Amino acid sequence: MLENTIEATEIKNGAELLKTVEGLKNDGYRYATMICLKANDGHDFIYIFDKDYKLKNLRYFVKPGEKPKSVSGIYLCALLIENEYQDLFGLTFEGLAIDFKGHLYLTPNSPKAPLA
Amino acid sequence: MTTVIPFGPQHPVLPEPVSLKLEIDNDVVVGALPSLGYVHRGLEKFIDTKDYNQTTYICERICGICSALHGITYTMAVEKLFDVEIPERAQYIRVIIGELNRVHSHLLWLGLFADGFGFESLFYECWKYRETVLDVLERITGNRVIHSISKVGGASKDLTKEHIDLILKMCDTVEPQVKDLEKVFVNNYSVKQRLVGLATMSKQLAYEAGTAGPTLRGSGNSIDLRESADWDIYKDLGFKPAVEKDGDCYARTKVRITELYDSFKLLRNAISKMPNGEITTPIKGFPTGEAIMRTEQPRGEVVYYVKGKGTKNLERLKIRTPTFANIPSLLLTLPGIKLADVPIVVLTIDPCISCTER
Repeated sequence: MLENTIEATEIKNGAELLKTVEGLKNDGYRYATMICLKANDGHDFIYIFDKDYKLKNLRYFVKPGEKPKSVSGIYLCALLIENEYQDLFGLTFEGLAIDFKGHLYLTPNSPKAPLA
Repeated sequence: MTTVIPFGPQHPVLPEPVSLKLEIDNDVVVGALPSLGYVHRGLEKFIDTKDYNQTTYICERICGICSALHGITYTMAVEKLFDVEIPERAQYIRVIIGELNRVHSHLLWLGLFADGFGFESLFYECWKYRETVLDVLERITGNRVIHSISKVGGASKDLTKEHIDLILKMCDTVEPQVKDLEKVFVNNYSVKQRLVGLATMSKQLAYEAGTAGPTLRGSGNSIDLRESADWDIYKDLGFKPAVEKDGDCYARTKVRITELYDSFKLLRNAISKMPNGEITTPIKGFPTGEAIMRTEQPRGEVVYYVKGKGTKNLERLKIRTPTFANIPSLLLTLPGIKLADVPIVVLTIDPCISCTER
């Protein structure tokens, strides 16, 4: 078990994620970024929000084969990082505001999902 | 009927390749779609082959303009994993090199911006003044672009009396030159006609769009990571964020000019308060755990996430750069803009594509 981890609220499913993110936006949080990590054949997402220089983090485990929900409908600025993870981890986000379909950075001849 | 035309990846005002697909109706933009991927180098993957100390040098090579601040932010993130406090003198050295980085970056941007609206000789002047800053950085660190001043545990080079004199002399020389530049950027009739009221973002819109740096502060948001607890040494230097309320291209320009004066002040304050003593703290073992570190680069907030598992390599490094945060705002500000103004609007976010794509 890894120690010295960052504080984060655990999110159980996609519906809870969207509801929580919407609540944070209503509370005046700014979307900072999102981290994607490989974990137990799936992926761990850490969403980072900021308000008054204090961070609020959400941790959401995406099961193998699960299509994660996009939060770009709530924070438009999330579209770039979600597209990046489609390229680099081979994920498919549901509900992306603009979908580059795995070609934000990578061309058809590039290595597939190099961080997966 | 609308037409889609490409803006970039090669364009006279763009120092780096980025493309925008612009949907235009007559000569007015009605939609914009960014297209990236021309300089993606996979640096977050590349660090798999490097140990956590070598990764400092990879981070510095993300960008040729704010290279020192990438290295500084990365080393501060890893120091969080080790839970070590570095000597105060090393913290001051990082502030000084970081502010020198900001001065030359803003002068570079002012030059590019002048070129963008056709003031060629002003472009040359800005870059000529920037040379003085680069000369000082070269004298201190041995390099003009990659400074390698920060290492995990402190600073890699100390500042001598000669270096300090050079920095103070540079401040005394370049500050009046910036005052001359300001007369054109802030007071010139033609420049104001081009910039005032162009691509306006309200305070709320800039905040919700996740923008960073002068793009965010130019819309009235007083947010600058130099005020945060993560880099609390700035509190001792009397730092206050530069903020403009109007949210247009003119406001974003004024923020950067004010920040130049702030940097000169911070440099003088840091030099006057810098204590003597050690510049490194010994580090033992390998990093374990997770940490997030944020600092304020010239273009805005950079976010570093590091994860170690007790080996010499990091398990994950993730970097969110300020231009990455500012590009989506173009989707909101470009519609309604005349095609001829697109270069100016794009330049006011000070795009750094090498940072964005890593």
